[in-house]
Amino acid sequence: MNLKEIRADALKKLEELHAKSERDLAALKTYLFGKTGILTGLMKGLKDLPPEQKPQAGKEINDLRVELLEKCEQKEKELHRLAIEQAINSQAIDLSIDRPDHAIGCAHPINQVRRRLTEYFVGNGYIVYDSPEIETDYYNFQALNVPPDHPARDMQDTFFITDNILLRTQTSSGQIRLMEKYKPPLKMICPGRVFRNDDDSTHSPVFHQMEGLVIDKNVTLCDLKGALDGFAKFIFGEQTQIRFRPSYFPFTEPSVEVDVSCFNCHGSGCRVCKNTGWIEILGAGMVNRRVLEGCGIDPDEYRGFAFGVGLDRITMILGAINDIKLMWENDVRFLHMFK
Amino acid sequence: MKLPLSWLSDYVDIGDITPQELADKLLSIGFEVEEIVPPRSDIKGVVVGKVEEIVHHENSDKLWICKVNIGREVVQIVTGAQNVKKGDCVPVATVGAVLPDGTHIKPAKLRGADSFGMMCGGSELGVDDDVIEGASFDGILILPCDSTIGEDILYTLGQADTVLDVSITANRPDCQAIVNLAREISVLLDKPFKSPKLTYKTSDMGLSDFPTVKIAEKDLCSYYIGRMIYDIKIEKSPKWMRDRLRMCGIRPINNLVDITNYVLLEIGQPLHAFDRKFIDGGITVRKGGCGERLTALDGKEYDVNDVLVISDDKKPLAIAGIMGGEYTSIFPDTQTVFLEAARFERSNVRRTSRKIGLRSDSSARYEKGVDWISVEIGSARALALIDELKCGKIAAATVSDSIEPPKQKVIRTTKEEICSLLGIEIDKKTIVSILKKQDIAVKTEGKTLVCTIPLVREDIDGYPDLAEDIMRFYGYDNIISTYSENTHQTRGYMSIHDDNTQKVKDRLQALGADEILNYSFVSPDAPDKLLLSTNDAWRNVIPIKNPLSRDISVMRTQLIYGMLCSISRNCARKNDTMRFYELGKVFVANKLPLESLPQERDVLCVGICNDGDFYTIKSIVGEIIGMFGNTEYSPSAAAYLHPKQSLHVEAHGIVGDFGKLHPLVCENYDLPENVYVAHLDITDALVTAMPTAKYIPLSKQHPIDRDLALIVESNIAVGEMLSAIHTVSPYIASVKLFDIYTGEQIADGYKSVAFSVRIQPTDAPFSDGKIKEIMDNIIEKAATQFGAKLR
Repeated sequence: MNLKEIRADALKKLEELHAKSERDLAALKTYLFGKTGILTGLMKGLKDLPPEQKPQAGKEINDLRVELLEKCEQKEKELHRLAIEQAINSQAIDLSIDRPDHAIGCAHPINQVRRRLTEYFVGNGYIVYDSPEIETDYYNFQALNVPPDHPARDMQDTFFITDNILLRTQTSSGQIRLMEKYKPPLKMICPGRVFRNDDDSTHSPVFHQMEGLVIDKNVTLCDLKGALDGFAKFIFGEQTQIRFRPSYFPFTEPSVEVDVSCFNCHGSGCRVCKNTGWIEILGAGMVNRRVLEGCGIDPDEYRGFAFGVGLDRITMILGAINDIKLMWENDVRFLHMFK
Repeated sequence: MKLPLSWLSDYVDIGDITPQELADKLLSIGFEVEEIVPPRSDIKGVVVGKVEEIVHHENSDKLWICKVNIGREVVQIVTGAQNVKKGDCVPVATVGAVLPDGTHIKPAKLRGADSFGMMCGGSELGVDDDVIEGASFDGILILPCDSTIGEDILYTLGQADTVLDVSITANRPDCQAIVNLAREISVLLDKPFKSPKLTYKTSDMGLSDFPTVKIAEKDLCSYYIGRMIYDIKIEKSPKWMRDRLRMCGIRPINNLVDITNYVLLEIGQPLHAFDRKFIDGGITVRKGGCGERLTALDGKEYDVNDVLVISDDKKPLAIAGIMGGEYTSIFPDTQTVFLEAARFERSNVRRTSRKIGLRSDSSARYEKGVDWISVEIGSARALALIDELKCGKIAAATVSDSIEPPKQKVIRTTKEEICSLLGIEIDKKTIVSILKKQDIAVKTEGKTLVCTIPLVREDIDGYPDLAEDIMRFYGYDNIISTYSENTHQTRGYMSIHDDNTQKVKDRLQALGADEILNYSFVSPDAPDKLLLSTNDAWRNVIPIKNPLSRDISVMRTQLIYGMLCSISRNCARKNDTMRFYELGKVFVANKLPLESLPQERDVLCVGICNDGDFYTIKSIVGEIIGMFGNTEYSPSAAAYLHPKQSLHVEAHGIVGDFGKLHPLVCENYDLPENVYVAHLDITDALVTAMPTAKYIPLSKQHPIDRDLALIVESNIAVGEMLSAIHTVSPYIASVKLFDIYTGEQIADGYKSVAFSVRIQPTDAPFSDGKIKEIMDNIIEKAATQFGAKLR
């Protein structure tokens, strides 16, 4: 065969190769380029040619060799791709089935809210302060301007351990412990469990509050509103408004109840806000001068504001939870709704 | 507090404001209306009629044909009732009327006679004797003969008024009085306030008959006024008074008692009426002596030792501020009354009322605080009503005793001081005008505002109180939001404790555990149910003095109880798979009964049910302890755990036990057998920051893996053997167990342990000889320490 014939023959053989002919391709390569291959033979035969024909003939053989090598390589890649594609086709599975892997757990919904709020206030310069759950009468009441036998004690049914030791009814006790320990300026939140001798469809004997306290020289009621406005927008959404209503707490003066505009209807009235457009979420006020004095802080030099948020209440509002008992039943189905 | 709008209208003209609008406005000044009780709407078209003629129906023995005047006309009504007489006033459901049970009244024919309406009994109107006398009688309700013919029956029944139930905050006891609340509303609506009538005619009566009044305990009773009324006529009080009392939840009794209750509601002053003839000598307000007892109006006898009483020369007559004695109370034959108006110290009334277990409308009022002025006004108002209702003749003289009358408080402040607290600018004129409307006298001395506070406002004692009273009427909507403009920049952070806690929780959640919460108090039966020994520290529980129930009566010393209750509750609901954790406080008493605050310790409890085995809980515990350092285990002695499948851990400030729950505990809590728990006190671990992870250079050399199978006696702890093997050479990167085999080819009492060792050279590749040396050392170690033989 001359070079032309060799070329035509090789191209024809390559053309005939199809998927699964990887072995045939290897054989073809051996036939062409192997030690006893046809092109190798021709190259070897060059030495018998007259010297003037050698360069030309050599070039022609080599060009063909390069061309065919390239073609073979291309074919090789093509065949490999075809082989993978075939394998892929055999690997189809039923995608509609689920086979759950190890599931992650979730925090209790109340603690999810607690964590979010904590992160918000820490970011705003507040420290997080932990205060005992079993307290003395002094920290829970007297230091908060509620002397023994004061009618304000009726606002909170208290669990007693002894005459003087009780389960704290409010995280406000944390205010006193903090102010005794640190000097102003102070910004603090104190989240935790509180206890009241009360058990019905809207009250649980154990629930969670988050106290907030800011003490500085020129704090105003407007600063309180700003702090709570920021917090309300963070939790309930940017469009949330807050409203102050006068109220009474022994440890603040003036005292206010704080409502947020309903996140569900934005004020037009719905079931969530009982058609008022507002949801009551917390109590707050300017720290009573007597409380500051009792903690050794000069009320003529320093002022402050305090607020107390019911974490369970916020959780219930956000999660549309209608029964406080659900919070303590730990039903897996309930917990998994808050993943 | 119940506020009937008709009563309110006596003192301020509220115009045509709707009850809802009034409630909204009251909210803006700090009085929340909890409920608006509207007039009854289930009765329509029932009026007062007068029976002008009554004859027997000619075709019936039982029916009567009546001609009834209903004001606009006289209608014929046929009735089967037998208690109606000519001249009686009765409720008439006219044609078109609707009754509470939904009945519509239509014209009818009864045995040939036309009937245009129906006479009603109390039950048909949904009322009983408490509302109007005769209503409980089975028959037609016969109304008082002075009823207004044609009047809507709702007025006659006193059920046509709207009542607001207003919640009064503890700082405003003065507003526990309709008159004082009316004064607030007059400022709110900018309408004039009409004062109650306090004047009355008096008659002369010799002072000789007056008992003297002496207060022995002036700390507990600062003011006591006694008045006398003679020629008393005890009868029913007028209908309007009875209606108002009833609307406020007080049962009418007789004119004199009703007047005292009426004044309690209207002026906020409790009064007490004694029958004069049972007062022996003078009145003394003193503490009861040892052995003294008193039978109160409720018929019960009380020990009044050390209790403040009103007494005469011989005996206690009343428990001061709480309840009068049965003996000296008003009876139909009472002729002369001694009327007490006094100011008892609120905390003493509160203490006494709790001590003897007796509460009354009077004590409830005193507990909130009665001011000095109300004593005189209350007494005068009662006398004015006695005069108006002609209950008796009022003696001109007054007997009284008191401390030095208190002076009005004076608060000196400035506009600047008030505005700087609020953070907004309010002009001085506005401030002064708002204060003056609330009867606070304001004098200006240069920049200073000298404010004189009326005695009824005992709550005001500084400029912040004035700021609040200004804002209530100026409007809290004027407070704007400012953000940290007036405060220092401060550093916000979480404590190491809180930070660590959060990390532990995150790790547990990544391990698939859901967080649960249980009450901080548990049942005192918990230790028994957990099989704890009699001297177990967990038995030192702190009891609550006044628990809600026995199930939640002691503070928890462990979290296992709550965990098992939660798992059990889920199982009962057919939620059979769970992996839970709780991280909460337990309470450890240093001494019982408690003398100082107990330790509050942070405990982590993990519970898994049908979600793995011992090795699952061990791996969870390992992950948690691994956050703080290496783990080490020892045998557990925890009574609530399976003795063969439990371990104790004590490392890096963590102490606890974990393993399979004891089968008897499973039974006690109604649990399936596949429950594993861990209880770790992590308090001491949380106080130090977790070690920061450090990089150890990664070797560029290829690791070499070698498998080994060793035969050991079956009681050998494989974990311990593998740990020992790990220490043979620093180049051993890991030792991984892949099989433990017993059976064919292995002798009885032995097991084959197959594992893979990864050897990691650091700087240069290891020669075969070096690798063999390490492997030989491993076999040697296993042989000498654990008696292992190569398989």
